[in-house]
Amino acid sequence: MVFAFLLSTISYIDTNIDRIYKEVIFLAGVLSPIPIFLYSLENLPILTVLGGWTRVSGIEIGINGINFFFLLATLIIFPLVALYSLRHFDKFDEKSGDVSKGSKFCLILLLYGGILGSFITRDLFNFTIYTEIVSLAAIILVGSSSTTGAKSASFRYLMVYLLSSFFFIFSVGIIYVKTGYLNFHLIEQNLVMDTEIKVAISVAFTALIMKAGIFPLHFWLPEAHSKADTPISALLSGVTVNVPVFGMILFLRYTSIEFLTVPLMIVAFSSIFFGIFMAIFQTDVKKLLAYSTVSQMGFVLLGISILDIYAAGIYVFAHALVKAALFLNIGILISNQGEKNIEKLSFGNRGLLTITMISLSLGIGGISPFLGGYAKYTILNSLSKWSLYLFYIGSVGTLTLFTRMNYELFEFETSKKFRFSLEELVPFIVALLTIVVGIHYLPKLAIKDGMLVGIAILAFSVLKYSRLLEWNVPRFYGKDPRELGKQINFYTSVFVITNISFLMFILRDILRELF
Amino acid sequence: MIESITGGYLTAPITGVILIMIGLYGLMVKRDLIKQVIAINIISPGVVLYFTGLGYVPEGEAPLLAHSEVVDPIPAALMLTTLVIDVAVTAFALALIIKIEEIDLEELEGDED
Repeated sequence: MVFAFLLSTISYIDTNIDRIYKEVIFLAGVLSPIPIFLYSLENLPILTVLGGWTRVSGIEIGINGINFFFLLATLIIFPLVALYSLRHFDKFDEKSGDVSKGSKFCLILLLYGGILGSFITRDLFNFTIYTEIVSLAAIILVGSSSTTGAKSASFRYLMVYLLSSFFFIFSVGIIYVKTGYLNFHLIEQNLVMDTEIKVAISVAFTALIMKAGIFPLHFWLPEAHSKADTPISALLSGVTVNVPVFGMILFLRYTSIEFLTVPLMIVAFSSIFFGIFMAIFQTDVKKLLAYSTVSQMGFVLLGISILDIYAAGIYVFAHALVKAALFLNIGILISNQGEKNIEKLSFGNRGLLTITMISLSLGIGGISPFLGGYAKYTILNSLSKWSLYLFYIGSVGTLTLFTRMNYELFEFETSKKFRFSLEELVPFIVALLTIVVGIHYLPKLAIKDGMLVGIAILAFSVLKYSRLLEWNVPRFYGKDPRELGKQINFYTSVFVITNISFLMFILRDILRELF
Repeated sequence: MIESITGGYLTAPITGVILIMIGLYGLMVKRDLIKQVIAINIISPGVVLYFTGLGYVPEGEAPLLAHSEVVDPIPAALMLTTLVIDVAVTAFALALIIKIEEIDLEELEGDED
């Protein structure tokens, strides 16, 4: 954040400052937390109260098992995306008009600081403030894109963020008045799971589900993530969505969410299937990836609903790496060919991009020995019969979706030749990393995974030859920004209904106790 | 009226919740974007009033060193942060509405041609 401040003030001190200085400050800001993280690895787990205060008066921060993978994913993705974006914003600087490259760098640093802050804090209100910094930086970054409809997407994101934030603060208030503290350790010690606390946790979860873009509160995510510039999309879909997930993990670790497991599991599976269903019919490749995020966040929520912090953490780590790299890889194709329609995009002569894309697709489908395979393995270990079958159907669905994406990219032929650019190495490095880490955790090839790929290819062939893929999903609302007001009416209603549905589960428990 | 029902103790939190409900109603029913921003700005003081009211102690003084029986200062201190963010966000939301009118609508009309 210090570097973001430097970057924003330096332009005012010297208006003719060379852009190289801005790039150096940006990179220094992005790289600065890495030595601190590496140094603290020797002393894990760390839990300390800032300024030497007691837990009652101070703000506690820490690095331990619950946030390790979140931090690791952030510290891998941000520097790589920063390197990628150095040249990317050069190309778009003229088009974007009023939003300069320096301002975008400054916002990315704010986003970075906010994300790291929300991952290390153990204070409920501090977490709320960090999520606000993250959301605001993300909203402005979406709005600063020159794509058509970016401003509307940004406004929609803003309204959703405000609504969910106020409800989250409302639940923080209830928790504070019932326990007397905002520090998670002290909340844990003073917690009595009565109806008020259950209501607070339920409202907080609904707000966090909305912030994480999980169905049925996902509506802001596909537009915001697909309209943003590609490096920003990678950061939003890869890292930013993990911030509310970490909030859920904090609640899972320090409070009791057993009473919410059934509704969370229902929401998780509906998000998995809805995300896949919507993604498979998309022609805009960035929107396809954004809907895939809705689906993948469903898998993460499934990890939380089975009360497994490690499974959710490792899944977040795997998804963050793969999704960021997918966006960057697709971004290179889009900027080379000036096209977002998947039916008109092609790998062309770029072998490296092809290899990266296929590895990432297998990774996100949960095929061993990729990291995604190990992540899926950790979740399915805790699933019972029917949920296990649904989980496998979800995995096949994801693979079918990415089979379609790769098929379309192979099928369309372009006569243009593209030169190698250094940017191609960034997603390739991430893809390589997912294999290396995956082999480290689960060094085996499962036959079952091969069968899943086979079923997915078969399912894709059936969809393709029955011409079902040509079906245009009816849009609930058109692209017209004049309908934005109506959309927000609808989104608020869904938010209220979801809140009430969650509360009904608590009411059901109360009635069960009474009778 | 609320005061007569609750005896004064829960006046602020209950008023806060009522304001939140009014704001939600606005967001669910009003289609004008500016009215929606106003609705959000009704929810915001609702939350602030609710949260600050939680720190109220009957007969409590302002939380200064000289007093022994004081109200809880933490909710009020925390809500200051929220208020500051609200002001900035409202300005940003209104600026976005202008940009939507200027850019997105224009581009949409351009696409139709």
